[in-house]
Amino acid sequence: MRERFLVGFDPFVLPFLCGMVFVLAYCLFYLVRILAQLSAEDRKKFFKSLLLPSNALKNIRDMFLDCLIHVKLWKRNPNLGYMHSSIAFGWFMLIVIGHIETFMYVPGKAGLFYYPIFFRYFMEVDNQELKGSLLFFLMDFFLLIVLSGILLAMIKRIWRRFFGMRRTTRLSITDHIGLYSLWAIFPLRWIAEGFTAGVAGGSFMTIPINMLLKNFMSNPENFNIAWWLYSIALGTFMFALPFSRYMHIPAEILLIPMKRAGLKVYHPRKGFALAQIYTCPSCGVCIDACPMSANKQNCKDTTVYLVRQLKRNNARRMNAMSNKCLMCGKCQEVCQIGLQSYDIRMNIRERARYNIQLKHNYLASYNPDIKQAKVLYYAGCMSSLTPVIGRSIKKLLSIAKVDYTQMDEGGGICCGRPLILAGKKAEAQAMIAKNTEIIKASGASILLVSCAICYRVFKNEYKLSGIRVMHYTEYFNELIKKGKLPITKGNVRYAYHDPCDLGRGCGIYDEPREALSFVGGLAHAEKERAMSVCCGGSIGSLTLNHEDRKPIVEASISNMLYSNPDYIVTACPLCQKTFSMYSPVEVLDFAQALCNGLQEKDVN
Amino acid sequence: MAENIIIIGGGPCGLEAAKTLRDLGYAPIILEKKQELGGHLRKWDRLFPEGVQAKQVLKELTSGLKGIEWHTSVDIETIEKSRKGYTVTLSTGVSYNSPALLLTNGFKLFPAEKKEEYGYGIYDKVITNADLEQYFAKGKDNVIKKPKTIGFVHCVGSRDEKVGNRQCSKVCCATAVKQACEMKELFPDATIYSFYMDLRLFGRNYEDMYLTAQKKYGIRYIRGRVSEVSEDIDGSLIVKAEDTLLCKPLRLKIDLLVLMTGIVPENSSASLAQQLNIELGEDGFYKPKDTILEPCMAENNGLFMAGACTGPKTIPETLSEARAAAVQIHNYLNKSWISGIL
Repeated sequence: MRERFLVGFDPFVLPFLCGMVFVLAYCLFYLVRILAQLSAEDRKKFFKSLLLPSNALKNIRDMFLDCLIHVKLWKRNPNLGYMHSSIAFGWFMLIVIGHIETFMYVPGKAGLFYYPIFFRYFMEVDNQELKGSLLFFLMDFFLLIVLSGILLAMIKRIWRRFFGMRRTTRLSITDHIGLYSLWAIFPLRWIAEGFTAGVAGGSFMTIPINMLLKNFMSNPENFNIAWWLYSIALGTFMFALPFSRYMHIPAEILLIPMKRAGLKVYHPRKGFALAQIYTCPSCGVCIDACPMSANKQNCKDTTVYLVRQLKRNNARRMNAMSNKCLMCGKCQEVCQIGLQSYDIRMNIRERARYNIQLKHNYLASYNPDIKQAKVLYYAGCMSSLTPVIGRSIKKLLSIAKVDYTQMDEGGGICCGRPLILAGKKAEAQAMIAKNTEIIKASGASILLVSCAICYRVFKNEYKLSGIRVMHYTEYFNELIKKGKLPITKGNVRYAYHDPCDLGRGCGIYDEPREALSFVGGLAHAEKERAMSVCCGGSIGSLTLNHEDRKPIVEASISNMLYSNPDYIVTACPLCQKTFSMYSPVEVLDFAQALCNGLQEKDVN
Repeated sequence: MAENIIIIGGGPCGLEAAKTLRDLGYAPIILEKKQELGGHLRKWDRLFPEGVQAKQVLKELTSGLKGIEWHTSVDIETIEKSRKGYTVTLSTGVSYNSPALLLTNGFKLFPAEKKEEYGYGIYDKVITNADLEQYFAKGKDNVIKKPKTIGFVHCVGSRDEKVGNRQCSKVCCATAVKQACEMKELFPDATIYSFYMDLRLFGRNYEDMYLTAQKKYGIRYIRGRVSEVSEDIDGSLIVKAEDTLLCKPLRLKIDLLVLMTGIVPENSSASLAQQLNIELGEDGFYKPKDTILEPCMAENNGLFMAGACTGPKTIPETLSEARAAAVQIHNYLNKSWISGIL
């Protein structure tokens, strides 16, 4: 092979070249900006983690699997996975092989951005050689792969169900420009390479179209127009990229090592959060996953749109969207890039200003008289509103002959979570401090909590060294396994609902199921464990009213009734209360279900 | 032969409408799902404002049913609309035809168990207004034994979006005032608290009842909702509430708590509405053709409704509506015969 022109340049490369330079400059600017926004401590942590060889390997593996192969999407739906990996990996291979060719034949031109991209235009074949035709074949093969991906992308616009999606994101204008230019790039490349296939060679894709219109396509005077169009499509895509969802392509390369370094979101749109915002590919998986979008409502308040408003810095919408959210964490669980929407929303809430004065001076005079015992039981406010739960727990504890005492008998201090969720983390500290004081003074070794909401905050926000914080599902499961609870298996089937704060919030999925399997059969819900659907009653939402919540609750109940259980069982008093309002089958609390399994003689 | 008119529901409304229709020359058929006629009136002891015996009213309503066909313990399977009117088929296979259909299927009391924080069905000493009427009627009860402090909680399941009911049940304020006075008469030494949001004493003489309750009987009215109820070791109740006039939280030890359960649509309303294509309001009650001009008429021809199935009502209001609906049916059928539809 040899060069067709001595100059090695043609004006048609300019759209691409400008676009490429623009993208690189933009990315560099934002890379510096994001790194500058990180706190000195975080920055140090990030660079340290980059230098660690084991991390570097893991980062490279993740970049390959996530950015190019899209493993998570494959797991979600093979069609969706193929569509993304064919475009990403295929395009990547086209660029790599283009560079290999340039290195092999014209090493001197390898430094030019455009040369490997428009290689076929600048070269001509002098004699056939084997290694050349292998590369020709590979180039055409990957072009075919990419084209098949583009075809699927077009199908996805009209037939979402084929890709396992009910709803997809409504694209912004720049997203549309990016999308259509991306669709145009590869067919145009095929045509352009088809024109030059006669002189520059080609394989099974490009040679046939060259042969098809031989007289027209082999005429060098017609080459330029095709290559100009190809370059313009590339250039358009590059210019649209930073302002569209395609920014995720470069951004993910930064996000992967940042996540590995264990950074934390400290501002809704700065530093680590900004890297996440840019990495969101607007795939819209979170729209279907969001419990609020039941009945096609509130779709516009899902995470993908929150990210768009964060990009635009629209404070009013950002606040409204984060206040409406149930904070169930499902979008984070399904997110392909692991966008930490929960932390981002919490940061937005913490920045909101309310004209409310909170007075906590009464806390100092509150000194409950708590008897010393091994197990300190904290019922929480929700358990006080659902007396059956407290009763069942006390019954189980006394049957198991546990030495226990209740911390908030007749009224105690709130765990602090409602305030934290309202963005008043600092104010909640007053309660946390007082509760910590009470718990430590009690001399108990186990803090038993029957509310998933309280449990999460005791587990994550309190510093209770030496005291084991246990959710009652964990605790009773242990008691059963130790043989302390005389329980028999009945022939009823329970569908267990994973409360958001317990499951996704604290990772407790197995203990309640294991314990329930001692008293009856387990019926599967349609979506469970990490994919479980919020009951709709969550105190996480600050603005949804009861009417707005009704369709959410009903959708969540129908998810629970998937395999016709006799009872729905949940381990959070709020879920129990919410479900009970609309559920056609009885909704039991976990402790109630265990009580149902107590052997007759032990029930007094 | 006299024309049949089917009436679904044999409470005060259905009975009164049937009598009026009979007097107008028709042959009404009452279909009642319960074992006996009379509806909720059977559960009540005395009626506000004057304290008339419910038994007496019931006797009046259920006597003189000559010329009226009535069936109890009935289970309606299907209702079909034809050009000639309606065909109601029962689960037994029997079916009835009628050129017009009157729905008087009434209401049900809000199930107090749903408001779990008040502990009905969990704590023995928490009862409902209906339970209390039963006590008044029978004169004895396992739970009510010389209570020293008694609490009445207004609006249980009414005006409470948390349980999905936004509507006011209209009659419970007056009932609560009446019941509080009756309790004070039975237990003169008892202290009685009434927890209310607003007191809606709209009818004639109702305000006098309320004033008497305060002046003569010394009932203590506390504006504020009860937040939660728990049980003390000795079995008495601890009620947490807020006095919103004093801006103070309250904690009271109480021996008996009466929940004034509100009025919600009868279970059958939703299925009847679906079969008959009637629109339901947000509160679940039937929506009449026009709430002001045609409160007893449905959108579809030949379909009428009266009584508490279109919203909470007092008994006199229900009875007037029953008569009005009967006359409207009569007019409708006359018009239809003249224009030859039927």
